[in-house]
Parts: sequence; C-alpha cells; structure tokens
Amino acid sequence: MSVTDYAAENRVRVGSAAALVVLVAAAAVALDLLVEAIVTVGFVERALQAATPIALAAIGGLYAEKSGVFNIGLEGFMVFGAANAAAVTWLLGGGSPSQADLWLAILAAVLISVAYAVVFAVLTVRYEADQIVAGLAVWFVGLGFGPFTAVVLWGSRNSPSIASVNDLTVPVLSAVPVVGRILFDASPLVLLTAVLAVAAWVVLYRTRYGYWIQAAGENPEALDTAGVNVARVRYAAVIFSGAMAGLGGAVLLAHAGSFIGTGDTMVNGRGWIGIVAYLFGSYNPLGAAAAALLFGGLDMLQIQFQTAGIDLPNRLVNLFPYVAVVVVLTFWGSTRMPAAVGEPYESEE
Amino acid sequence: MSDADPGRARAAVDRAADRMLDASVLQRVVVATASTALALLVGLAVVAAAGYDPLLFLGNVFEGAFGDENALARTLKFATLFILTGVAVAVAFRAGVFNIGVQGQFVVGGVVCVVAILRLAPALPTGTAGGVALLVLGTAAAALAGGAYAALPGVLKAYAGANEIITTIMLNFIAVGVVGYLVEGPLRGEGNRAPNTERIPEYVELPAVAFDSPDFSVVGLAVALAVVAVVSVVMTRTDVGYDMVTSGHQERAATYSGVDAARTVVATMTLSGMIAGIAGAVFAVMVQGYYSDPSGVGTYGFDAIAVSLLAANNPLGVVPAGLLFGALDSAGTHIGINSDVPVQLIDGIVGLVVLFVAAPELFRVVAPRAGFGGDDR
Repeated sequence: MSVTDYAAENRVRVGSAAALVVLVAAAAVALDLLVEAIVTVGFVERALQAATPIALAAIGGLYAEKSGVFNIGLEGFMVFGAANAAAVTWLLGGGSPSQADLWLAILAAVLISVAYAVVFAVLTVRYEADQIVAGLAVWFVGLGFGPFTAVVLWGSRNSPSIASVNDLTVPVLSAVPVVGRILFDASPLVLLTAVLAVAAWVVLYRTRYGYWIQAAGENPEALDTAGVNVARVRYAAVIFSGAMAGLGGAVLLAHAGSFIGTGDTMVNGRGWIGIVAYLFGSYNPLGAAAAALLFGGLDMLQIQFQTAGIDLPNRLVNLFPYVAVVVVLTFWGSTRMPAAVGEPYESEE
Repeated sequence: MSDADPGRARAAVDRAADRMLDASVLQRVVVATASTALALLVGLAVVAAAGYDPLLFLGNVFEGAFGDENALARTLKFATLFILTGVAVAVAFRAGVFNIGVQGQFVVGGVVCVVAILRLAPALPTGTAGGVALLVLGTAAAALAGGAYAALPGVLKAYAGANEIITTIMLNFIAVGVVGYLVEGPLRGEGNRAPNTERIPEYVELPAVAFDSPDFSVVGLAVALAVVAVVSVVMTRTDVGYDMVTSGHQERAATYSGVDAARTVVATMTLSGMIAGIAGAVFAVMVQGYYSDPSGVGTYGFDAIAVSLLAANNPLGVVPAGLLFGALDSAGTHIGINSDVPVQLIDGIVGLVVLFVAAPELFRVVAPRAGFGGDDR
C-alpha cells in the first residue's frame, strides 16, 4: 500500500485528522493562545523523543497482529526493556557509564526481550494460550520483576541517574534553521526509529515476507496450502514484536537517563498507547508512527503550557494522552482486524 | 444457521452454557494448583538467583500469611478486597467482556463513598443508627459511581466498537490522575498536610468482631461473601445472568436466540463496576477511613484479574483464589518489613500465575510426560 493508496482508502480518517488540526488551530487563534509559545522547535524535539518508544512498540505490535497473534503484552515487554537497559548499563559502567555502555545495554535489553518473546510465542502459538490473558500476564510479570530488578540493584524501585544518550550532531546540516535542529542535532534513537518505521513499511508491503505475515493473519489456510509454515511466520512476527517493544522500553530509558519503577513504572501505559497508535494508523507502520507522534506531542504539552503561562494542574494535563486514546478509539475503534487474529492455527499435516 | 429456528438456537445456547458451567471443575482446580505451584517455584528460583535463601523466604511467606493473629487478620483483610474485586472481574470476564478497569472503578467508588459520607453526615444523627445509615448510603453511592464509570467503556464498546481492554486501562490512568488531583486540592481536608480528604466520623465504622484489628472487620468479609452469593445466583439462576454468560461464549447463538448483545455488554460492565465500587467503599471505610492519593492505595483491581483467572472466572472459585492472594499479599507485607528480599517478587509471582493459567494446554502436554495423572480427559 503506497501513501496515496492509504490516503485514498482512508479518506474519512485522513480528512478528519486534517479537520482536527484545523479545528485546534482555529480554537488557538480564537482563544488567543500563544501558538508560537506552544509549538516551538524544542516542543517538536521533545514530542519526537516522546513518540519514539510508542512508535517502536506500535510497529512491533502491528506485525504480530497482522500475523494473527494479538500481542497485548507490549507494555510488559517495554517494562522489561527499560529495566534491563538500566540494569545492564549499570552493570557495565556503574554510576558513570560511557555512551558505548549505554548502546551495548540497549542491544542487550533487546536480546533479553527476544528471549522472553520466544517464551511468549511458544505459549501462544504452540500451546495455544489465551492471547489476551497471556499478554496481560506479561504486563504483570514486567510490573513485578522490573521493579524487583531495580530493588536488587539499587535498593529502591527507582535507579539513580545513570546515563542518557547524547544527541547526534551532523556538521553543517545541523546549522540549517529549524529542520537542522530537529533532524540533524537530535537523539540518534529518533533517527533509528524513523529508519525502522520505513523499513517495516517496505518489508510489510513490498516483500514476500510481508505478504506471508499478512496472509498468516488473514487467511492462514491459503498460506499453508501455498507451502509456507504458518506457525513459523507467526513465531517470527511475535518475536519481532517483543524485540521492538523491548527496544521501545530501552529507548525510553536512554532518553530519560534513569529507571523509575514506582506505580506503573516509567512505561506508564505507553505500550497500551502503542496498540492504539497502530489501530489508529490502520496497521500501517508509517501511520502508526504518525499516530505515535500525536500521542508524544500530547504527552509533552505540559511543558509548553507551563512556558506559555497556561495554568492547568499538571496532574490533569498529564492525562491528555489517555483521554486522546479513548477519543480515538471511540471514533475509529471499529477498525477491521485481520480475520484470523486470536485463533490458533493447526496445520492439517 | 440457515433457517430461522429459535428453538434450535436456544438448544445450542443451552448446550454451550451447560458445557461451560459444568466443564470439569477438577480440571480447572488442577490447572490452578499447578499454575500456582509452578509460579512459586520460579519465584523461589529467582530468589535463589538473586542471592537470597529460598527456604528462609518460603518460611517468611507462611509466617507472614498465617503466623499469628495479626498476620491472619491482615490476610483476611486483603482477601476481603481480593474477593470483592475478583468477583467484579469474574462477572465481566465470564461474559466475555474484558473489564481491566476494576482498579479505576474501585478508586472512583472509594472516593465517592468517602465524599458522600462526609457530605451527608451533618444531616443525619450521630451514633450507631446514623453510622449504619451513612455506611449504607456511602456504599450505595460507591456502587452507583463505580457502575457509571464502568458503563462508559461498556457503551463505547457496544455502540462504537472501542476495545474495552484499552479504554478501561486508559480510564484507570484517568481515575487515578483526576482523583489524585481532587484529594490534593479541592477535596483536601482542612489543614491536612498530606493530600488526603477529611476523615469520616468515628461512628461510621465496621464493628470489630473476633479480630481486634484497626483495618479488618469480619463484617467486611461477610459483605464480600454475600456479594459472591448474590452474583453466583444471578449468573446461574436468572435470565440476565444466563444471557451474559452465553453471549460471552456463544455470541452468535445468543444473538440468534434474541439476546441484545450490545445491551448485555453495557449491563455486564455496569454490574462489574458496581461490585468494584462496593469493593472501593469497603476499602475506604474498613481500611482507610479517608481517601488518599489513589496512586498509593494498592493495586487490588489489577491483582483481581489474576484472582478471577485463577478461579476460572467462577464467582464461587474467587473465594479460595482471593484467600490465596490475600495470603500472598499479607506475606509480602511481612517480607517487606522482616526480610531484605524485595516484595516486588510477589507481584512477579502473581504475573507468572496468570501466564501459566493462560496456557492450560501446557499442563495437558507436560503433565502426562512428567508422570502426573489428575486429568480426566
């Protein structure tokens, strides 16, 4: 599906998104809000950073669901990703780790998530576990063992300040006004996410593997008849989704610089928002990334409101992304899911 | 289903319901027990791997759960809350509606109960009679508020197709945020340093029977068991309950025999939320006596999901499952004070229980190989 096809098939969606933007802009003008104080270059940067973990989890989740397995455990994989990235950084570099330690830790966190995702995939594909219950379980296990790791290492559910990733500054290009600062003097993890989103789109819609994944979710019998092992395709997609969510958690940690394990941990619903992001994006990796940017922007509004002098209690402004999710699901909730989601497939042979 | 034959559809529904309601209780007990045992084993392995003594940990678990009268009262206190929230989850899950929002409904019910009691207290006589009246009114307000807060995602699911798992989780965050804001500001008791509401009057309390504990009353446990009994009768002996259960498991057959699926979803969510609201009221009155920042009131509504799943979403099964989780949480409190093993381990074990319960096939495949019988298949 190309971008134009996508726009054509989702005219209502694209149209209403555009209408929403116009409406918000009109409201801002009418209420005499300081738009330039809210939409600043810093805001775009922060919104992109906030969007990356959500986008990564969303892209992973949509692969799993396209293949027929609803990975509702994204949130849990993100908790593990964040906790493990923090733990490995700490074990490698102690209180003053280098950037190399941090990158190694991100890689390690992804590999550990792959291991957990293999267990999850075996339970859901091989042992036909209830996908919803097993996914919830991953979240619970993450909420338990993530903070557990923190307490074992640091004696507290929160880690001390560890390390955050340095911005990648491209010489010359970073001097371009606005765009330079947003794209060429930014977190390399934002750029990585953009690359992964495009790659995920290409693989899903332009390669054989992508068609296999789509077929595994839409019509597993046909795929089986064509001689492709449905279980194997689903294993790959589910393991990929765990890896992406784990990467999302690790990226969240690398941007924040320390692990927070109180309450619902630092992940705080981002995995769930990721699911909504890909539903909103019609299971299209680029659409999901765009939706993630919307949620990331809402997440960062609080700082903008403060600098613009808009006096709303933080606790309430923090709820914007969650309210947005409910609104999105209300108007776009009945997205058509792949036909065979949630159904274990048993080959005839 | 080619031609219209409501009689045949009804028969299909009956068969489905029979299968579901009777489906080998033994099998479920085996799966639940095996899941719990396996989760505990993994937990002990983690304890050992993290460099603590697993046997000492196990000893602490038993001591913390049943060691003395205090421990027992604490276990029963947690069990009361787990049974109530567990039934709230079970009602919804049994009907095929994934209400993950019990935590939020529990919070909304609790704070509404406290506010109702505080606002109504001046209008009613003090003393026992007024206390009882306030308890009843506060609990009713909590049930209404919890029910309404659950009806919202029910309506969104039934009429807009919004996935209730995600909306209820979002509404949990929203409930915690809004109530947190309210107790910090508008509802904060006068002169309170901590972000809490005022205390409810002294005479509004559950009487201490048998246990001399400030935050557990046998009356609270009795309320929980009464709710279990009522729900169990509603689910198995009334038309409403029957429609709920069948539409959860045989949606098409249920629709075919004349059940309004959308309305059933809303009714299920409302009933589930009302019970969660009652759980919130019991927590507010029996345990706290005021309402505090909900991000720190405990995650009963989440753990209730594990309780319900362990009970195979059977309201009666929630009682033993709630006791087990009450014991685990009570042990967690004890371990938090008396041992240096991080209590978060208990949460992890709860998660593992759910993971294993989700995959009964695992035991069906593994059990014969490991030489266990115990399966009537």
